[in-house]
Amino acid sequence: MDDSLNTQRWLRAGVGSLALAAIVFYATAVVVREGEAVLVTRFGRPLRVATEPGLHWKLPWPIDQGSLLDMRRRVYETGHTEMLTRDKKNIIARTFVVWQIGDPLAYVQAMGVGGGAEGKLDGLLTNAAIGTLGGHDLSALVSTNANDLQVDRIESELLASAAPLALHNYGVRIEQIRLERIALPEENVRAVFDQMRAERRQFAAKFEAEGEKEASAIRSEAELEAARIRAKGAEEQARIRGKSAAEVAKTYADAHRVNPELYRFTRSLEALDKLVTGNTSLILRTDSEPFSLLQGRTKQ
Amino acid sequence: MRTRERPSEIRRLAAPLARGLDAAWQRMHWWVAAMIVLYAVSGTTIVKQDEVAVVLRWGKLAGATPALQEHGPGLLFSFPRPIDRVVRVPVKHVSELIVGTLSAALPDEDADPYSGSLDPVNQGYAVTGDQNIVHADIVARYRVRDAAEWAFYGPVANDVLRVEVTAALVRSLGEMGVDRVLAEGRKDLIAIATKRAQEGLDACRSGLELSSLELTRLAPPVALAPDFDAVQSAFIGAETRRKDAQAYAATIIPQAQAETEAATQGVRGAAERDLAIARGDAATFLALNREYRANPMVVGERLYRDAVERALGRAGSIRWVPPPAGGRYNGFRITVPGFGQAVGTPAAEDEDAPPR
Repeated sequence: MDDSLNTQRWLRAGVGSLALAAIVFYATAVVVREGEAVLVTRFGRPLRVATEPGLHWKLPWPIDQGSLLDMRRRVYETGHTEMLTRDKKNIIARTFVVWQIGDPLAYVQAMGVGGGAEGKLDGLLTNAAIGTLGGHDLSALVSTNANDLQVDRIESELLASAAPLALHNYGVRIEQIRLERIALPEENVRAVFDQMRAERRQFAAKFEAEGEKEASAIRSEAELEAARIRAKGAEEQARIRGKSAAEVAKTYADAHRVNPELYRFTRSLEALDKLVTGNTSLILRTDSEPFSLLQGRTKQ
Repeated sequence: MRTRERPSEIRRLAAPLARGLDAAWQRMHWWVAAMIVLYAVSGTTIVKQDEVAVVLRWGKLAGATPALQEHGPGLLFSFPRPIDRVVRVPVKHVSELIVGTLSAALPDEDADPYSGSLDPVNQGYAVTGDQNIVHADIVARYRVRDAAEWAFYGPVANDVLRVEVTAALVRSLGEMGVDRVLAEGRKDLIAIATKRAQEGLDACRSGLELSSLELTRLAPPVALAPDFDAVQSAFIGAETRRKDAQAYAATIIPQAQAETEAATQGVRGAAERDLAIARGDAATFLALNREYRANPMVVGERLYRDAVERALGRAGSIRWVPPPAGGRYNGFRITVPGFGQAVGTPAAEDEDAPPR
């Protein structure tokens, strides 16, 4: 019976102690997670900022109070702002920043725990952009000549211009500023369209002329090559004919050299054969053969 | 001897609570024990195949190095809340984000796509290095590279990806000519923009890795489409002319080769024929010569008479004239049909005589 009573006493004491410990823990412990910070205030006055992740302590409410701050990096895009470059060209630029709370106390004092830094950053960044881009030509932003481009330098100047002010005034650390968009005012786009149309017409004419020129060159070259082939062929044919004529002449000469007199005789007969045709009229004396034979026979 | 003390006021007031606790313990002590066990194992987590898990112990990352902080797929034992908190990050999963900041979205349905301008706020576009305008539709594929950085410190993935990819593409287009980016430079453009976007993501320690950047559309404004089409047509026309010329060249040269070859073969054949004839003639002549050597008078006479007979037989007409008196003709005239007047004596004219 006494054991049962002792067990019950220990149980009661344990449960009571645990409940008390839990209440004290939740009233005084501050768990700061990664990516967060906690601002501790005493009777509303900022006391300290716990930025290191882990377990921190405070006095229980209503003496001390902890306010959670999001320490993640965040992205903010400014509005589209029209501005003038150094060479007096209107452009519309939009920048973005990657920022995080750099000085929690200054941040809370400037913005409150709820934040709202973006609205204040917008003015700061727009001013920085107008000031910085006004010191550069448009070719520093867009150009096919790599030597003209200075985007890295412009972004560095923007960062150098805006980051110290943002940290000092608002407790915001700007880690990156980049030019997100570069556009042209609506009125200037018309002129760009006209310029693009003119360029297209020029390209079309150029392509047509080049095509014609190349086609003509290909045709001429082919005709020249064909003429070369024919000339070479004619040369070869002449060579063959010459060689053949020489061989023929030699063959005849070799044969006729055996009996030149007979050759001349046979050639004369062949010439006679070739000369006399159906259109030939022969005028012969009656005392020549074969008419003379008739005369001789008559005489006999 | 120990005397029983009188119960205090606190004990008297707490007695009902104590009795309630005692009664509850008597009835539900197994349930309570089970709940305690369940709470003790509530920190156990299953990490999926495409995930890693990191543990926050009292809010702080457990583990000194990234390798010790990240836990791979499988069963992960940790303390229950509020001591530990397990955050699972899908590091191997490739996500997709459509970036439409440079696409040609019209402000409203009634807008005329062929109007001569663009609203820079509502219609996205980029200016190229030669100050032309192009629209680009982009798809970015990415995954988490640094789980802790992304989960606790990095900016929101879609936000940072959209601006970094847009900025990288705007800058890359701003240093290339429109014709290059629309044709052969597209691959270079994607490579440069991907590199720049990744550098931006690294610079703001986003913990993200860009797997790929795809340009699903890169085109000039709709209002200029006919002008770009005209250039394309001119280019195709020029190519057609070039190909026609090449086809002509491919025809004319083999044709010349074939004709020349045929002519050369003809000449070669004629030469062979002439030589063969010459050899035949020579052989005939040599044979005749052998006969002539043996009997010159007979052979010569026969050849002569054969030739004369053939000539007389073939001739169109023959005129026989008497031998001249005194060795020469004086005033002798002959008229040959078709040749006008010819020489000969009037007495010898015999126009009506039939030809032989």
